[in-house]
Amino acid sequence: MENKTVQILKAKRRALWRQRFMENWRVFMRNPLGRIGMSLLVMFGLMAVCSYIPPMIDPMYHPMTGVDPKVVSSVGPSWQHWLGTDFMGRDIFSQLLAGARVAFLVGVSAAFMSVVLGTAVGMTAGYMGRFTDTALMRLADMIMVLPTLLVVLMLAALFGQLSIWMIVLMIALFRWPGVSRIIRAQTLSLKQRPFIDAARVSGASHLRIIFRHIMPNVLPLAFLYMTFRVTSAIVIEAGLAFLGFGDPGTVSWGMMLQWVWKTGYMFQAPYWLLPPGICISLITLSFYMLGRAMDEVLDPRLRDETQAG
Amino acid sequence: MRKYVLKRLAQVMVILFCILTILFVLFRLAPGDPVTRMVDPEMTPEESQHLIEQLGLDQPIWKQYLIYLKNCSTGEFGYSIHYGEPVAKVIWEKLPNTILLFTTAVLLSAMVGISWGKIAAWRKGKATDLGMTIAALVTHTLFLPWLALLLVWIFAYQLDWFPITGMVSDEVWLDPDAGFFTKAADVLYHMVLPLTTLFLIHFGSYLLVMRSSMLDTLKEDYILLARAKGLTERDIRNKHAAPNAWLPVVTSVGLSLAFSINGGALTETVFSWPGIGRELVFAVSQNDYPLAQASFMLISTVVLLSNVVVDVLYAYLDPRIRY
Repeated sequence: MENKTVQILKAKRRALWRQRFMENWRVFMRNPLGRIGMSLLVMFGLMAVCSYIPPMIDPMYHPMTGVDPKVVSSVGPSWQHWLGTDFMGRDIFSQLLAGARVAFLVGVSAAFMSVVLGTAVGMTAGYMGRFTDTALMRLADMIMVLPTLLVVLMLAALFGQLSIWMIVLMIALFRWPGVSRIIRAQTLSLKQRPFIDAARVSGASHLRIIFRHIMPNVLPLAFLYMTFRVTSAIVIEAGLAFLGFGDPGTVSWGMMLQWVWKTGYMFQAPYWLLPPGICISLITLSFYMLGRAMDEVLDPRLRDETQAG
Repeated sequence: MRKYVLKRLAQVMVILFCILTILFVLFRLAPGDPVTRMVDPEMTPEESQHLIEQLGLDQPIWKQYLIYLKNCSTGEFGYSIHYGEPVAKVIWEKLPNTILLFTTAVLLSAMVGISWGKIAAWRKGKATDLGMTIAALVTHTLFLPWLALLLVWIFAYQLDWFPITGMVSDEVWLDPDAGFFTKAADVLYHMVLPLTTLFLIHFGSYLLVMRSSMLDTLKEDYILLARAKGLTERDIRNKHAAPNAWLPVVTSVGLSLAFSINGGALTETVFSWPGIGRELVFAVSQNDYPLAQASFMLISTVVLLSNVVVDVLYAYLDPRIRY
């Protein structure tokens, strides 16, 4: 009997969630920014998936090690190489596809890590208050003003060549303060609500209150900030690779730009200079637009504004 | 006000101290012998002995730390391995160049962003607004080094309007007859492309912040009052709405300073602009640790101090805030 009630309640809750999700999705897709951003991202996603195909067709299409034996320097687009080849005869199109994979990998994992860290720190600071709050926020202020790209560069000076995972980790470690500030502000206001008191009097521990009662309420906001962190992670990795301190084992768009710049083909090979830059800029733009559209889903005030004008 | 500035400066000192300490610890943790990383192998034994004593590398670790702090506070960063000169001398020459490019770029983009954002909000929903918002979104998300390369390719290589790299042309600066204005014009001529790059990347975010802040301000009652009083639209926009709307822009300038200095380093590297950012990149690629460390410290100091300047400016612009 009781089981049945629970089941019905659960089904109702699921239905409610689904309804809410569909409504948000509709608001999201009604927004032109959201639509454009989403379609661009789907395109980049397809590129990342397709990056596995060219090396399977012919090993000479491998983005890193594949070299066309008939080509000795950079040549322009042809049927054989849709976007031409780089200075040693590697196919630019397959490098571009591989770059999409690296961008997603770097962007999403660094953003995820920094948002997890930022959310944890923000919730702890906001909930605990007093000394913990002051200490954590001072730390956040300190890290926030440091230029991340140059910090990672300095770490490269200390520890030598950084692998792609080290770079991702470093970006995550230095990009959390922005998130934690927002989450802290949200936590401070949540803390005043009656349901937190109710949880406390019924004997919930601090950890349980933070993770069970506060976290579900700040997660949407954290998720929104993740899209902005993705762009900054991609740009930092690309900048680092462009300066020549990327992981030499990966082909990222920043790396491709570094090759065209350093090998002196910049002025002769627009087919090589243009695509990686366009890709980095477009993927940044699409995540940015996605974030803006999500902003409107989460903040109804903004929604009214765009509809009015 | 003075108390507030002093407090902020004290905070800057604390943060710098933390950065120095972390760098010291990391340097000892990093693989490789500190002596070989700090001392040029081409020096004579006497010279290197002198340098080791000056840097305290033969002392116990706690004493090394104290000597390191003392050296950093007096600007003794050791010898650059690549240049074979004292690091302080190398980077002090570069500092004004960085500050020139960086401040001009930030000020220019903030001013343009504010005034265009004002117009965009005023013409909300019209073609002007749409055009400006889209332009801001697109330029803001362009990849900076790529934009720089593109500008070089189009305006310096194809059209040959501007020099490809550098900050000065030798024939002007070696010419004894060249006056101050000729030299200044020469620097300005070299600065056009790097400045355009930084401007295009930055004005968009200021424009967007100003636009949304202005839209909020326009909903306030005092705007309605101003309109009821019969003030001209121009006065309402420029005297009543804009001064209240630009405060969030000042905050966003402060928050984006770290981002701007990243961009500054990339721009300097692409255009061979002789600044500290480029020096840091160069030092890291040459394994010149003393130079890298000092450039990093100097850049951090510049960012921290400009943050203080922005905060003070904020307090000055907003009469409600009195420290």
